[in-house]
Amino acid sequence: MSAPAVAAPRHAGAVATALHLAPLFARRRDSDRLATLLPVASFMVVTALLELVAGGAQAFFRWDDDLAATYQTLAVIALVLLLVPLGTVGASAARLAARRRDERLASLRLLGATTGTVTALTVLEAAATALVGALAGTVLYGATAPLLGLLHFRGEALGGQVWLPWGWLPLVVLGVTLLAAVSALAGLRAVVVTPLGVRTRQRAGTAHWVRALVAAGVLAVGLLAVQSLSLFGQMGGVVAIVGVLAGVFGAVLLAVDAIGPWVLRLRARRRARTARTVPRLLAARMTLEDPKAAWRQVSGVAMTSFVGVFGAVGLAMASYTDTADMPADERWLMHDISTGVLVTVAGSFLMVACSVGINQAATTLDRAAVHVSLDRLGVPRTVMAEATRRAVMSALWLVSGGSALCAVVLLLPLVGMAIFMQPVAVVTAAAVFAVGFGLVRGAAALSTRLVPGILARPERVL
Amino acid sequence: MTSLLSARGLTMHYPGSTSPALDSVDLDIVPGTSVAVMGASGSGKTTLLHCLAGILRPTTGSVMLQAGSGPVDVAAMDDAARARLRREELGFVFQQGLLLGELTALENVAVARMLAGVPRAQAEAEAQQWLAHLGLTGLEQRRLGELSGGQAQRVAIARAQVTGARLIFADEPTGALDSATSVEVLDLLLAAVATGRTLVVVTHDADVARRCGRTVVLRDGHVVSDTAAPAATAATGTETAR
Repeated sequence: MSAPAVAAPRHAGAVATALHLAPLFARRRDSDRLATLLPVASFMVVTALLELVAGGAQAFFRWDDDLAATYQTLAVIALVLLLVPLGTVGASAARLAARRRDERLASLRLLGATTGTVTALTVLEAAATALVGALAGTVLYGATAPLLGLLHFRGEALGGQVWLPWGWLPLVVLGVTLLAAVSALAGLRAVVVTPLGVRTRQRAGTAHWVRALVAAGVLAVGLLAVQSLSLFGQMGGVVAIVGVLAGVFGAVLLAVDAIGPWVLRLRARRRARTARTVPRLLAARMTLEDPKAAWRQVSGVAMTSFVGVFGAVGLAMASYTDTADMPADERWLMHDISTGVLVTVAGSFLMVACSVGINQAATTLDRAAVHVSLDRLGVPRTVMAEATRRAVMSALWLVSGGSALCAVVLLLPLVGMAIFMQPVAVVTAAAVFAVGFGLVRGAAALSTRLVPGILARPERVL
Repeated sequence: MTSLLSARGLTMHYPGSTSPALDSVDLDIVPGTSVAVMGASGSGKTTLLHCLAGILRPTTGSVMLQAGSGPVDVAAMDDAARARLRREELGFVFQQGLLLGELTALENVAVARMLAGVPRAQAEAEAQQWLAHLGLTGLEQRRLGELSGGQAQRVAIARAQVTGARLIFADEPTGALDSATSVEVLDLLLAAVATGRTLVVVTHDADVARRCGRTVVLRDGHVVSDTAAPAATAATGTETAR
């Protein structure tokens, strides 16, 4: 019997080949289902949060009275503060989507696919995943926006004002899809796809002590600038004061971000030396593997913590002033700023919790073989879960605490006065922070729910 | 002599599979011996090891182990009890080593003792002794990625023994090593047997089986050969009478 005839190869373009292959790659075995659903769920959360934040901010732009401009300025500030952690969630979702396809890309290269085909397939798949997630996120937004509408400003619920104009929704979906495609393309630049696997072009980042020196200098200059605000006021009026404050904010936050991974590494190294239990030792070692990644995961909360302290102190000072002679709308403004600060801090923690949840779920899936190995050795499942939780919370404490501490240093005399004069305002802010920490802790713990599924089918990972 | 481990009627059905991975396997393992389990891929040898070690619970059958606290039926224990048994009574050396990449060689070994409640300083001192005994002095602070395959297996062997486990299970411990390193690793495992420990090793390698005191050959979930002499030919498909 003669062998089947071999058809001559046809040389199609990379995009055309990718389009032919895409449906095959879209099929999943049962074992891949979770790995596929996770990036979709991540993009869903990102889109819903983005639409909620944009919807909340634009509600204030429907007002046109005397104080509308003040509210709109504050809404833009809150929007900027929330976009930072939202960017972290988006980056986590993009990284997760990229990690899940590594193995299949290597198989494609083994079969002789060109770099162009691999690139086109990657971008197509990322865009399709993001599109499905963004559409689901818009549905989630529709379900949760009424809750946002319950927030009261000027004594009234925002209600239907939080709905984005319908024409914006396709734009948001398109934007998320495009960003995912661009992220996938950027992600491919950081890895080398070979027939034998995918490897990163560079090692995990390390942090240097010189950054600490620069950060300390920035904080000292910032402190000097804040103490000299009256001098700047005499020279350039309110514009100069606002400009100096904005500059100090930005510089100190950049300094915190620069010094953070280094401090995290130092602390993890010390803890690795002194840890008395296995979860503590593992947590420290996990952080030491890549301090920058550990920091990045929760860094979105830095700006919020910093501004949260400013907000809490400002509110405490403002509420101490006699408002009896103020017009009603100005009294509402004072009250609404308080609500805005708390909502922004809470929203920021919610986004960091989402980022942590996505990252930890991806890490758990990536380390499935380790979980199976530990189980075979008889290591209790709680050990790895506790180690993961400790690693996340340790970084969160440092990010949040470090940023808040910088703000306290800059406002030192005022913080003392605020605690003394308006303890309720300070306690309320502290309570929001405590709930936020709980939320992030819960998100870190959620990933452990994946472990029983991994252990039930160990042959998938070993 | 009383068996350290005694399996009776071990049968294992995986969900969705039409034929059993193990079918009524009986096996006795006496203390201080080395047993090689051989067979072609899919013959059930790794499943047998997992059932004997309490990693898998067989569909039917019993696995009686003379544990430190007395005889226990591993097959009848719940998940938590089997995990504790693996942690406290058994040692493992697998092809991948099952080491934690974040930890140093010393910490990987010490963790086994820390999990048993031993203070870290004491656990590390004991780990240090085992690493030195296995020729890894000076490599204690290296992590998995900084060790060769043979060095990583030595660390795994140290971890398997540091708890005082009397029974060591090894699944293809030399599968990823060159022949010279394979000999060294097997030397270390058999040295443990010389000190009174018991070794059950799953292997494809006839040279490994030849150095063990006894060879059990599986085919399609059945024991087809159980001899004191090596049975390398049987493992590769030649019929061997039991």
